[in-house]
Amino acid sequence: MDIDLSPEDLAFQDEVRSFLADNAYRNGDDYNKWRLNWFDLAQDKGGWDVPKWPVEFGGPGWTPTQHYIWEKETATAQVPWDLPFGLSMLAPVLMNYGSEEQQKRFLPDIRARKVNWCQGYSEPGAGSDLANLKTRAEISEDGTHYVVNGTKIWTTLAHIADWIFCLTRTDDSGKKQEGITFLLFPMKQEGVEVKPIITLGGAHSVNMVHFTDVKVPVENRVGEEHKGWTYAKGLLQHERTGLAGISRSIVALAKLKEQAESVKRGNGSLMDDPAFRSKVAELEVDLMAAEFTELRSLAAAAGGNDPGPESSILKLKGTEIQQRIQKLTVEAGGIYSAAWGPLPVGPGFARGGMSGYLASRAYTIYGGASEVQKDVIAKNVLGIKTGGNS
Amino acid sequence: MNFVLTEEQQLIQDSVARFIQENYSLEQRQEIAATSPGFSEAHWQTMAELGWLSLTLPGDFEGFDGNQIDTMLIMEQFGKGLVLEPYLANNVLGTRVLLDGGTDEVKKDLIPRIAAGEAQLTLGYAEEQAGYDLHDVVTRAQREGDGFTVNGRKSMVLHAATADYIIISTRTSGGQADKEGITLFLLDPSLEGVTVTGFPTVDGLQAAEVELNNVTIPADAILGEEGAGFGILQAAAIDGILAICAEAVGAMEILYKDTVEYTQEREQFDHPLSDFQVLQHRMVDMFMEYEQCKSLLYRATLEVVQQGADAIRTVHALKHFVGKTGIMIGENAVQLHGGMGMTEELRVGHYFKRLLVIDAQFGNADYHLQQFAA
Repeated sequence: MDIDLSPEDLAFQDEVRSFLADNAYRNGDDYNKWRLNWFDLAQDKGGWDVPKWPVEFGGPGWTPTQHYIWEKETATAQVPWDLPFGLSMLAPVLMNYGSEEQQKRFLPDIRARKVNWCQGYSEPGAGSDLANLKTRAEISEDGTHYVVNGTKIWTTLAHIADWIFCLTRTDDSGKKQEGITFLLFPMKQEGVEVKPIITLGGAHSVNMVHFTDVKVPVENRVGEEHKGWTYAKGLLQHERTGLAGISRSIVALAKLKEQAESVKRGNGSLMDDPAFRSKVAELEVDLMAAEFTELRSLAAAAGGNDPGPESSILKLKGTEIQQRIQKLTVEAGGIYSAAWGPLPVGPGFARGGMSGYLASRAYTIYGGASEVQKDVIAKNVLGIKTGGNS
Repeated sequence: MNFVLTEEQQLIQDSVARFIQENYSLEQRQEIAATSPGFSEAHWQTMAELGWLSLTLPGDFEGFDGNQIDTMLIMEQFGKGLVLEPYLANNVLGTRVLLDGGTDEVKKDLIPRIAAGEAQLTLGYAEEQAGYDLHDVVTRAQREGDGFTVNGRKSMVLHAATADYIIISTRTSGGQADKEGITLFLLDPSLEGVTVTGFPTVDGLQAAEVELNNVTIPADAILGEEGAGFGILQAAAIDGILAICAEAVGAMEILYKDTVEYTQEREQFDHPLSDFQVLQHRMVDMFMEYEQCKSLLYRATLEVVQQGADAIRTVHALKHFVGKTGIMIGENAVQLHGGMGMTEELRVGHYFKRLLVIDAQFGNADYHLQQFAA
């Protein structure tokens, strides 16, 4: 064990830093052009546009330490926005279970950020109990396509997505986990209806999606019929690791400290307030630990395996930490954290603080609620056998 | 010792509860909140007619001589409906300062109009630099001739855009955070140099920033003694704290009960959510903390009414506990409702947002714990 970065790692860190500095967005640049160009340049570096993809699919083949350095540096630098659905969630499924033809058809567009994907998993009756899904896919008589009917809910960015990867039920005669089929189809077609859901902070990012007789050619099925749950499970673990957001939280905590220092209290600032200060300190300690838990998990997954049940620990801890940072931002906003609407009132961060806090309450609900994550850890990590319900 | 309501108190509670039942479903409330002025004039008139606006006014002015216990009964029911009308600003904060500091002449003019729902007051006590300290005041009032010239800004003043009078705290002498040297004025917002900028708050209510730019205020607009406004301000803040804590207790009751109901209906893993012990215990915690809040609410309200030696300390304890517990219950109500709890469509989120604002009013949980321990 060694905590210091090796000379090679230090050189890599310098290389990452200069790449990020050289290619930062400059005022006046066309954002979209800059964004796509940034990914091209990252690709030229040797797969830096797809850091987590395996080498055989064009990834950089980094060591866990290199991944850690990348995460840390990109959290503070200005990097283009990116969506996880195609890149980090669907792509590994296609690599492991998709046909060669599907890989050739879908992966290049995902890599080029040309096609936006959304995830058709949760349903009104299938939240934490995801396998309970009821969206039906029936195979046509001639066996050429499926006909999909049903409703998905909490579908993030369905309103801007081009394609959906969707869990459907093709058989309900056996266990819930059996008889699920993993389908891919375009969103902009007849029979797909997207309805916005407005959440507590007033934002529209999630949707309800209805399918009415949507035709999906059989070649858009990933893997075998009825076996979709197996493919979906691995994907969930990728999602969970992504949701922990440890590097982002380190940046957010530093920002919170700055904000608290700008808030006057008596002769000093809010950071001199003992109660506030100690809550910030506790967060810092938790983050120090979580950062290393993530590193340990990265190291364990270095062989290109699924992250495994340890990813639940990170999702749990990471989302709680994010929520606590948001909560303290609201506290720092003081009386002004209540202000709402378009008028600028009070310190600049106060408004964003409240909407950020409200939005953060979903972090312990989506991607597998915290209560379910704990069940997963109890069962799969601690090996506790119960007569239980899940 | 006795926790039984009098017959009159029971009647008030029942009549407010009925009003909420009939007029404050989430749909009805959101409709009112979305239209100017952000509350219902018709409801306000109803409240006047039912005597709620004169409940705590003195008998000399045809009021009912009620006290903080009566306000508590009303506010707890209001909390169950997330009432939008400016009862807190007008009948708790504004009226309290007016009664403690107004001359007979001013009272004779204003109190009948308040009782009739024709005049609305509010209290501008907060300033941006002050944190939660009522005595940190930099808005200056300088004596000039027969009156005062006032410059500064009062922050997050409840319902100020629709108020007929805004009572403001100003500094007439002393240093920024001195308790001496604070003077209260009954400000007519139509005076030259007053700019009131209204905006909604996250809980669907209304507030405003009040800018004072070389405003000339006549000396007879002073409430109380010049330089001795802090005591009056503090008494109003205590009444305000008791009122919003009662409102919070009402809101918490809705949240824990809605959660218990929802988890029995919602099935996952072939069981109602309420079958899961981890969720049962969470709901038991919500319930217990709600009951503890109610106990502290009664205790603090009775201490204040009976002017107990421990009154202020108990109020600090209450505000700390309500802030902390309100957020705990709100967060868990949302968590146990899952994704649905995150939507504007269900009412739990709205009650949660009100509890968040209540924590930030008159000092949050940390602030009052520190005051309690000091």
